[in-house]
Amino acid sequence: MIRYELKKVFARTGSKIALLLLVIVWCIACRFATDVYWVNENGVEERGYAAVSRLRDAQREWAGVLDEERLRQVIEENRRINQTPQAKSSDVRESNIAYGWKQGIDGIRTLLNCAYEERFRSYDYYRADSLRPEDASEFYGNRVRLLKEWLAGEGGDSDAVYRLSDAEKEYLIERYETLETPFYYDYMKGWVQLFEYISMIIMIAMLILGYLVAGIFSNEFSWKADAIFFSSVHGRGRVVAAKLEAGFLIVTTLYWTAVLSFSAAVLGYLGISGWNCPVQADFSGWKCFYGIQVWQEYLLVIGGGYIGCLLIGFMTMYVSARFKSAVLGVMTPFVWIFLPSFLGNLNSAAANKVLGILPDRLLQIHVALKSFDLYELGGKVVGAVPILFVVYSVLTVVLMPLLYEEYRRKQAG
Amino acid sequence: MELRLERLTKKYQNTAAVDNVSCSLKNGVYGLLGVNGSGKTTLMRMLCTLLKPTDGSICLEGRDIFEMDGEYRRLLGYLPQDFGYYPDFTVRDYLMYIASIKGLRPTVAKKRVNLMLERVGLTEAANKKMKSLSGGMKRRAGIAQALLNDPQILILDEPTVGLDPSERIRFRNLISELSENRLVLLSTHIVSDIEYIADEIFLMKEGRFVQSGSVEELTSAMPWQVWSLQVARADVNAYQKSYQIANVKTVQGGARLRILSAKRPEDSAVPETATLEDVFLYYFGERSGMDDDKI
Repeated sequence: MIRYELKKVFARTGSKIALLLLVIVWCIACRFATDVYWVNENGVEERGYAAVSRLRDAQREWAGVLDEERLRQVIEENRRINQTPQAKSSDVRESNIAYGWKQGIDGIRTLLNCAYEERFRSYDYYRADSLRPEDASEFYGNRVRLLKEWLAGEGGDSDAVYRLSDAEKEYLIERYETLETPFYYDYMKGWVQLFEYISMIIMIAMLILGYLVAGIFSNEFSWKADAIFFSSVHGRGRVVAAKLEAGFLIVTTLYWTAVLSFSAAVLGYLGISGWNCPVQADFSGWKCFYGIQVWQEYLLVIGGGYIGCLLIGFMTMYVSARFKSAVLGVMTPFVWIFLPSFLGNLNSAAANKVLGILPDRLLQIHVALKSFDLYELGGKVVGAVPILFVVYSVLTVVLMPLLYEEYRRKQAG
Repeated sequence: MELRLERLTKKYQNTAAVDNVSCSLKNGVYGLLGVNGSGKTTLMRMLCTLLKPTDGSICLEGRDIFEMDGEYRRLLGYLPQDFGYYPDFTVRDYLMYIASIKGLRPTVAKKRVNLMLERVGLTEAANKKMKSLSGGMKRRAGIAQALLNDPQILILDEPTVGLDPSERIRFRNLISELSENRLVLLSTHIVSDIEYIADEIFLMKEGRFVQSGSVEELTSAMPWQVWSLQVARADVNAYQKSYQIANVKTVQGGARLRILSAKRPEDSAVPETATLEDVFLYYFGERSGMDDDKI
């Protein structure tokens, strides 16, 4: 029966076009994600696998524990390069040559920019250039200091004063202070690029999966095949279960195929080193309060994406079953994507709280991990990510019997 | 096997599509005759557990069919009036799928599908997509799916729509063959579909059975008589306004009318034997032929 349910979905021309679209998006995302350059000794950009290898080799020279000594070395190296005629030159090519020398320390240099900023929410690309080697000792302390200043409303750019409760502020400081330091640092371009583009794959996959599964519970009505279907012995039992299984299989198979093949392509090309670094060892994760490593972030990203796709897939099927309409079903994923944009415009603290735990966040765990979305539950402060995983996993499981019953008791005609 | 309908009613808001219908059906062919909108389809959908009655009950051997659930539907074969199908399935795939949802094991299903394809003359079209079939061929595929599980209760709603005369005759013969050990309920507004094969006919009007019985019983119970009368062509319109006219045949020197009337319309009128068509005209005359929505 499942075979026929799958056949009903994939025999449609629209489904074939949707799959083709997914393949095209996959290829485009792969192209962008693997587009890494290396500036050679002549100041010219190189691309391709050789460029990746050279960048990796250069950055791996600086791999290791990012302690005071290593930070001092990076600051000194940065100052040394800045003193060269090439760095001081106003000629673009000469400047590029100087930049080329900095590529090995570029990741750490970016972290220095973050750590020595004036304010928590500002970023100055040249901040590292003004550092002295003796500043290295303040690296980790600055991270906590800037957070505390921001939470206290200092500097005038803080929305934390009204956004976060005292308990939430205390929680954030505690998480920052207890984060294991010094960080382990390694070349992690593969992960950085993967995290940047995998959300696009997950989002598009979800929209396409929504389109594919929308018809599973409404096709019988639109094709007027409901009368024969529901008058058959299994029409209100096993076939309904087969439809659920078909929906589950479509979401599971296509999601994991798209996500794992994309991960394999990007990491295979750019390398997997950096998997054991804390997420804070990269610019995008510098402010993250979750004490996790990159490989854990990856599992959360793909796991969250899967739960999100499954949940929205089941919601899509539920809506199409409830209203006997694939069109309304297909709209469901779009609503979940555009609803946050609408709520975001409301610009209220309550709306922000809701935004942080909408199901679309599951599709962008990479972003959710870096957001200060905190919730007080029973006197305990919890981040949005664990709430997203628990609540929506339960909801997904609960939706299955609801969908089964909704369809089972449908009247035909 | 006895299927009993007790005070069966289905209301949509304040309109009763089926109104207090009671009857008992056993093995044999039953015809449900009525104009479009008389409630035939609603009645059949309730018999197929697709719609729940507003009131009353349907029991098979004393058990409510809605409580029997799958056990009842295992005995059922149904061809709806608006026969929907899966457009991208081949005929064989379609029948195999229906066989699977009817609970046939794959090996049995394969044999039954081949047999049904042969019976309805679709063997050569077995690998064609459903959407590429002609209207008549689709209807035949519909008949095939209804028979796949060798149902004990076969419900056919306007089964001959779209069939040409030879297909219609073949279908009638098929139903006759099948009727020996099962209950066949066939709804139609085409009198000839059931005239020769139905053991009992229910005339349905505005949700109610207005009359029932065999063809002979129905014709003899008709209060009016049938008359044959030759008139001048110029008078035909006047007769049509005054009487129920079952047929107008142009003949040399005028027209021969088949008139339904309680009294002899003219001294020259000759009594004729009533047919089921005359009965149909008597009960549904003013509405027969109107294309109403399906109720």
